[in-house]
Amino acid sequence: MNVAMELINVNKNIGKKHIIKDLNLSIHKGEVFGLLGPNGAGKTTTIRMMVGLMKMTSGDIQIEGHSIRKDYKNAVRHVGAIVENPEMYPFLSGWKNLKHYARMIPGITDERIHEVIQLVGLQKAIKEKAGRYSLGMRQRLGVAQALLHRPSILILDEPTNGLDPAGIREIRQYIRKLAEEEDVSVIVSSHLLSEIELMCDRIGIIKNGELLSVEDVKDSQDDEENTELSVTLNVSPLKEAMEIVSSFPIKSEGEHSITVKATREQIPDIIKSLVQADIQIYEVNVEKTSLEDKFFERIGENTIA
Amino acid sequence: MHNFIALLQNENMKLSQRISTWIMYAILLVIILFGAVIEFFSESVTTTEVDDNWKEELRVETANLEEMNEEDEYMYGMFTDEIAINNYHIENDIKPLPYDAWQFTMENAGLSSMISLFTIIIAAGIIASEYRLGTIKLLLIRPISRTKILLSKYVTVLLFSMIMLLFLFISSMIIGSLFFGLNGLNPTIVQMSVDGPKETSIFGEIFTQYGLNMINLVMMATFAFMISSLFRNSGMAIGTSIFLMFTGTTVVAMLSNYEWAKYILFANTNLNQYMGNGVPVIEGMTLGFSIAIIAIYYIIFLVVSWLAFTKRDVAGA
Ligand SMILES: Nc1ncnc2c1ncn2[C@@H]1O[C@H](COP(=O)(O)OP(=O)(O)OP(=O)(O)O)[C@@H](O)[C@H]1O
Ligand SMILES: [Mg+2]
Repeated sequence: MNVAMELINVNKNIGKKHIIKDLNLSIHKGEVFGLLGPNGAGKTTTIRMMVGLMKMTSGDIQIEGHSIRKDYKNAVRHVGAIVENPEMYPFLSGWKNLKHYARMIPGITDERIHEVIQLVGLQKAIKEKAGRYSLGMRQRLGVAQALLHRPSILILDEPTNGLDPAGIREIRQYIRKLAEEEDVSVIVSSHLLSEIELMCDRIGIIKNGELLSVEDVKDSQDDEENTELSVTLNVSPLKEAMEIVSSFPIKSEGEHSITVKATREQIPDIIKSLVQADIQIYEVNVEKTSLEDKFFERIGENTIA
Repeated sequence: MHNFIALLQNENMKLSQRISTWIMYAILLVIILFGAVIEFFSESVTTTEVDDNWKEELRVETANLEEMNEEDEYMYGMFTDEIAINNYHIENDIKPLPYDAWQFTMENAGLSSMISLFTIIIAAGIIASEYRLGTIKLLLIRPISRTKILLSKYVTVLLFSMIMLLFLFISSMIIGSLFFGLNGLNPTIVQMSVDGPKETSIFGEIFTQYGLNMINLVMMATFAFMISSLFRNSGMAIGTSIFLMFTGTTVVAMLSNYEWAKYILFANTNLNQYMGNGVPVIEGMTLGFSIAIIAIYYIIFLVVSWLAFTKRDVAGA
């Protein structure tokens, strides 16, 4: 697999605080990589180091084979990014904002600017001042700005932050499109699994500055047979039902319901034995445990360290 | 070089798209106009053609001045220069010219302190506002060194002040001509110099005055630029710079008994103290000394700006 970006033993201290701890990570060409972690985990700090806004205390980041420490210009040339919010010059029009960044890299023609405007669907508003844009529009202008120079790596810090569901879906669609059609590697960060699960190929879980694990999203979705499911049973009487399902690991108990872990194969058996015991079944709810659970298993309580 | 010009274009685009920049030009224009109106209705200014009888009139005027200069307890010694200049006119048969656009423009050299103020505001904002808006994060992730970006901002500040000075000169000439007329293309004027009154080209005099004011302007703008780079906050940069600009010379005057006061920047920025019959703020100071002190401060301001801008993390912006 081709590597687009590699983080090697990256550490960051600010004052006495050890903010990023020995981060090792490879981003493959053309993949969408999610950086998932609670507030204060170190996602933004990591991204700032990737683009050279912050210096790392030790370690290195290689972008397309160029070290961001030693060969900054050649490394950053391959990167387009939005760090935290998509901040634009409010007194400049959308077009002038893009023109501003286009001037900073040789070889970006006006046609290319039109092209990215088209790509993010901002044609109508491009002459308006960016200060009048909605958050969604600014997010798009931010993505347009990041794509101007055809980077091979696109970094978006919390791209779904503050967007409505339609906006999130749209972002998801063109991130996938970029990865699949233009072979761009995309790094997205988020503190909500549900918002990035559907667009990522892999997700790295980060907490307190440590990379806890990297999960393959496809794996956990494809492997239907053996996936653990949470089965929530709304039954009466609850006590007797609990005895019957006691052979399954219990995840949680509600006032009228119980949730157990089981595979798809086992669900009919559970229902059959409940029916045979004359237990009233009002509702059976099946959910994939998959990443969501792995996520919470890993990070535990969503606390800010 | 190509991308440095592109950076200058960017900075100038950002300046010119802000209304506040244009308000500065408008304010300056209004002040010039206002000055012209006041001058126009003031009685001490002769704008009419001087008649053949001028020597006699000037003698009478000079005699009056001499009387005040020697006897009036409040105005004692105030008119020594003016008397000398008048006598020089009479002795050398140089007919005094009526007040005109050239003299108006020369007097307006004082308005360069207004331009200093505006330049300080621009210098203070040009770095700090990128941090305030958060755009610094997009500005610094391009394949261009931070040094180059900083330099483009600094050059933009200097360009702004030059253009403002040019604007002051040109609008003073135009407004001056409309109100007072113009005595030819390069009239002369009698001014005090180191060895008494001397006839000089007024254009040269204007050039010197504007040029000398430029030093103070550039130093204050560079100071504001440094504070802006150091604290990433324009309010603080504007505040400290303007405070120093207004109190600097006073503080130096208060401390002028101490020898070390001559190392204070403000003891040196006014090079007029070495021109004409000026007296140095502190005894023993020379033009060369002042230029050296100014240069040292200037280099310190620039190095601090550069270190603060290029060596530090961009965090939490
Ligand atoms: N300039 C700084 N000085 C001191 N500590 C800092 C600084 N910047 C970040 N931190 C600390 O580093 C940690 C990681 O912050 P970071 O912004 O990277 O988190 P994040 O994962 O992006 O969180 P969020 O989801 O809230 O955006 C936090 O504990 C924060 O307090
Ligand atoms: Mg963050």
